[in-house]
Amino acid sequence: MNETLKVDRRDAKLALAHIYVAFIALALGGLAGLLQTLVRSGKFTLPANISYYTILTTHGVLLGLVLTTFFIIGFQFAAVSRTAGTFSDRVRFWGWIGFWLMTIGTAMTAFFILIGEASVLYTFYAPLQAHPGFYLGLTLVVVGSWISGFAIFAHYARWKKEHPSQVSPLLTFMAVVNMVLWLVCSLGVAATVLIQLLPWSLGLVDRINVLVSRTLFWYFGHPLVYFWLLPAYMIWYAIIPKIIGGKIFSDSLARLSFILFLFFSIPVGFHHQLMEPGVEPFWKYVQVVLTFMVAIPSLMTAFAMFATFEMYGRSKGATGLFGWLRKLPWGDARFFAPFVGMLFFIPAGAGGLVNASHQLNQVVHNTIWVTGHFHLTLATTVVLTFFGAAYWLIPHLSGRVMTKAMNRLAIIQTIVWAIGMAFMSGSMHFAGLLGAPRRSAFSTYGNSPQALEWIPYQIAQAVGGTILFIGIILVLVIVTNLAFFAPKGETEFPVGEVAETAERTPLAMENWKLLISITVALILIAYTIPFIDMIQNAPPGSKGYKLW
Amino acid sequence: MANEKIKGKATENSNLKGTLASVFLLGFFLIFTWVSVYFLFLERL
Repeated sequence: MNETLKVDRRDAKLALAHIYVAFIALALGGLAGLLQTLVRSGKFTLPANISYYTILTTHGVLLGLVLTTFFIIGFQFAAVSRTAGTFSDRVRFWGWIGFWLMTIGTAMTAFFILIGEASVLYTFYAPLQAHPGFYLGLTLVVVGSWISGFAIFAHYARWKKEHPSQVSPLLTFMAVVNMVLWLVCSLGVAATVLIQLLPWSLGLVDRINVLVSRTLFWYFGHPLVYFWLLPAYMIWYAIIPKIIGGKIFSDSLARLSFILFLFFSIPVGFHHQLMEPGVEPFWKYVQVVLTFMVAIPSLMTAFAMFATFEMYGRSKGATGLFGWLRKLPWGDARFFAPFVGMLFFIPAGAGGLVNASHQLNQVVHNTIWVTGHFHLTLATTVVLTFFGAAYWLIPHLSGRVMTKAMNRLAIIQTIVWAIGMAFMSGSMHFAGLLGAPRRSAFSTYGNSPQALEWIPYQIAQAVGGTILFIGIILVLVIVTNLAFFAPKGETEFPVGEVAETAERTPLAMENWKLLISITVALILIAYTIPFIDMIQNAPPGSKGYKLW
Repeated sequence: MANEKIKGKATENSNLKGTLASVFLLGFFLIFTWVSVYFLFLERL
């Protein structure tokens, strides 16, 4: 198990399998997204009686859950194999078991959505009730991801055993933190699916405690956002410095920010439930405070990125306050796409602070502002970073090289994406401030003057959605080329080195007993009392509804 | 000697004025957005 510069061919196959599924999900989910924006413009109706809500659920599940989870696990397998050495046969075997469980689960979930038996949106809130096959499919996806997580933990444990008293490779450490975060948070969604939703949809019980199911969902749902975001941060912290020719500003700072994400991204779910009855305001307040704590590691990341770029620019002779910006490799899509993603994270973060503030949440709650917000965080910051990573990861794994023409196309793709998203997400934010609801098909609500005000913004969303769909076609062309048609050759898997001036990383940062104890303690503090209250003072519960 | 070299290099590269300015701009943007929506909230009370 030696550290190598190249991902082993067998590990590469495992990583690539995940990435292929991710991009197939992008193609189908992206098409669903285009159709949604067209319907919401009021100028288009879906053919053959297809329901808007079926399309909406397809879009959310395929892009929010499938694209992300598959890309992340594939990328992490590659990153761990590259930095902590080739997998053992056993680790790889379990990696494949995880992959197939997730794939079968995805196919099952998609099937029940497409036949119109599960138009419950990607949040699958009770009392909307889907076919049991939908919940079973999702369970397989989650269980598959757990198996992959344990495969990564086993590989990490072996590395630690073979390298006593050494700090683990940064990318491997980050992948382990992300999978610990995923494991702890997905216990919530597993609990609501297995204990509540599945027995209820099978008819074993008549009624469901809606508040408990929503609380368990959001115990999972917010850290899910960080499960998406942390791999993007892995790329920013550990890979982008190498791509630009610079150094990692600080290994300890990168690890500390990941540890803070582990602590503070889970006990914060109530900020999605600020408008819900049945939760004491005090506990909402506690979780809002913890939500603001989670802004700190993101601000640390912003600082580290600026510092990395400035240090590099100055080492190349940049002068003036912002002269270093000119020294960055703007013509390299591996840098340009993630950089544009970083820029979009600034308004995304600002919107997040608004969402998490109790009073301000009343202005934007359940409006399309929120949809605009996560199209900045996930669909721009995270996705553009993943696209940027795909431009070197796929050719590295497939034994090919990216041509200049494809690099140029990737730069154009990034610009197209940025323009499309500025239109779509921007108009979603403004329409949301005017009260336009999310999760709903086109309606003038009986020609109410307020609803008529939203229509120009909805047309702008359709324009943006169409531009974004062109972006999806472009990225699929590039990815297909890199996987199957680009010239054969060697592509580097870039891994940054730490700057000479950075402090040494303390070993205590890998004290997992301590890290997990603090994580669990914060969860118990934030959730125990309100959860007991929800169960002790439970209403009779709700029967299931199929409103589509 | 080698240490001095590294130290010299560190001083030359550790000019992070641009980073300081950038994080301030970022902070102002966050505050501006938050305050704007807060005033919208107050207006609609």
